[in-house]
Amino acid sequence: MKTLKLRPYLLAATPFIGILILWTVLPSLLSVPAYKLPSPQLVWTKAIELTGDGSLLQHILVSLYRLALGFIVGNLLAVPIGIAIGVNRHASDFLLPLLTFLQSIAGIAWIPLAVLWFGIGDGAIIFVIANIIFFSNLYNTVIGVESIPQAYYRAVLSLGASRFDILKTVIIPGAFVQLIVGFRSSMAFGWRALIGAELIAGTTGLGYMTLDAVQWYQTETVILGMIIVGVIWLVMDRFLFRKLETMTVRRWGILQDK
Amino acid sequence: MIVNKELPKISVDNASIAYTNQDFAEPHLAVKDVTLEVSANEFLVVVGPSGCGKSSLLAAIAGFLTPQGGSIKLNGKQIEGPGADRGVVFQDYALLPWKTVLDNVGLGLKFRGMSKAERDKIAREHLALCGLADAEAKYPHQLSGGMRQRAAVARTLANQPEVMLMDEPFAAVDAQTRMTLQEELVRIWQQTEVTVFFVTHSVEEAIFLGDRVMVLSSGPGEIKAMVDIDIERKDRDLSSLNSNPRFQALRDEITRLVRQDAA
Repeated sequence: MKTLKLRPYLLAATPFIGILILWTVLPSLLSVPAYKLPSPQLVWTKAIELTGDGSLLQHILVSLYRLALGFIVGNLLAVPIGIAIGVNRHASDFLLPLLTFLQSIAGIAWIPLAVLWFGIGDGAIIFVIANIIFFSNLYNTVIGVESIPQAYYRAVLSLGASRFDILKTVIIPGAFVQLIVGFRSSMAFGWRALIGAELIAGTTGLGYMTLDAVQWYQTETVILGMIIVGVIWLVMDRFLFRKLETMTVRRWGILQDK
Repeated sequence: MIVNKELPKISVDNASIAYTNQDFAEPHLAVKDVTLEVSANEFLVVVGPSGCGKSSLLAAIAGFLTPQGGSIKLNGKQIEGPGADRGVVFQDYALLPWKTVLDNVGLGLKFRGMSKAERDKIAREHLALCGLADAEAKYPHQLSGGMRQRAAVARTLANQPEVMLMDEPFAAVDAQTRMTLQEELVRIWQQTEVTVFFVTHSVEEAIFLGDRVMVLSSGPGEIKAMVDIDIERKDRDLSSLNSNPRFQALRDEITRLVRQDAA
C-alpha cells in the first residue's frame, strides 16, 4: 500500500534527479567553465550564503508581494468587466474591440511606458503584472459567462429568481468555473511578466537579483534565481491552484480526476 | 388563495408561437392557433412528432417565449414572463452543478427569502417524497440520470408551484429507470395535487401518465386531437398495461394520429 502512495512522488522526482545528475557530470566531461555553467555544489553554496544574509528571502518576498498585488488588482478589474461583457450586448459591443486591440500588446510590451509613468520600482512592475492578469482573466470571465447553459437561467427564473439572484447563483459561479481553470495560466503569465519587469524596472526582486548577478559574473546566482522561480511556481501550483480546483470545479464534476 | 373551481388553471387561446435561432433567419412558426384548457389538478400530456412545437408551447406557458398572437393565461391572468407559479422540469435536469442536492432543492425557497433552517426542512421533505433522502449532501454530477431528475422534480415541487411543466423529462434515462420514474411521478402528483403539463414523444408514456393526451401535428403544430384516457388509475399497472385491450386501442389510435404527420 505504501509503495502505491509513493509512486506519483517518485515518478515526479525522477526527471529532476536525472537533470541533476547530467548537470553534475556533463560540464566536467565537456570542460565547460564555471562562469558559463557552475556546478550544483557551487549553486548550493550560493544558496546557503544568500539565505544566511537574508537577501534571498528579501528578494523572494518582494517578488511575491508584487505578484499578489498585481493578481488582485488585475482580477478585481477583470471579473466585473468580464461579467458585464458576458451578460450585456451593449457592453460587449462597446468594450470588446478596444480590449481586443489592447490584448495584443498586454504585458511586458508596457514596461517602457510603465517606467515613464511610474518610474523604476514597484508601481511599474505591479502595473505590468496587473495588466497581463487583467487581459488573461477578462477573456476567461467572458467565456465563463457565455458558456452557462440557457437552461440554468430558465430554471432559476421559474423558481422565482430576481436579477440579483441570477447574478449571485448562476452568473458569478458560472464565470468562476472558467476563471478558476484560467487562474493557473494567468498566474503563469504574471509570473513570467514579473521576472521580465524586474529585469528592466526593478531594484529588488528575483528578476533583478539574476540580472544584477550577471554583471559580476555570478552565474550561480542566476541559476539559483531560475531554480527558485520554478520551485515557487511548483509550490503555488500544487498548494494553491490545485487546491482551489479540488475544492470547486473538481468537486462540482466540471473537471474530472484521472 | 381562493381558487375558482370553474376557472381553468391554464388557458391557451388561439396562440401562435414563433422562435428564432441560428438555423432560421426569419422567426420560425412552431405552434399555430392552439386553443386548450387545462383544469386544476389535471395531468395533461402533449405528444407529437419531433419539431411539432410541443416544447415551444411549454416554453410559452413557462413564459420563456411570448406568443405572436392569441393569449396564454394562468388562473385567468395573462402570463408575462417566467414565474415561480409555474415550475419547470427540463430534459437535461438543469441542476446547478455548484450547489449540493439539498441547496438545489431549496433554491426557490431561498429566492423567497426563507431562512436556511426552514428551507432545508422543506427541501428534505421533498427529497424524501421523491425518494432521494440519502443524496442531500451530494453534488449533481455524483448522481445517476434518474436521481438527477428526481432531484429536479423535488426542486420544482419544494417551491410549491401551481403548475409543473415537464419537458420530455424522462427521455435521457434508461428504460427501467424510466418506468420507475413514471410510477413515482403519478404517486407524487396524486399526493400534491399539482397541475401537470407533460411533453413527450412516447405514446405509451402519454397514456400511462395522462388524464388527457393532446396530439399536435408537425410544424407548425396544430391540435390534431384531444384524447381522454378512460383507463382508471388503479388499472394502470405498468407491468400489465401492455395487455390491457383499452390501452392497446388508445395506443394504436394515438400512434396513428402521430405518425400521419411524422416526416
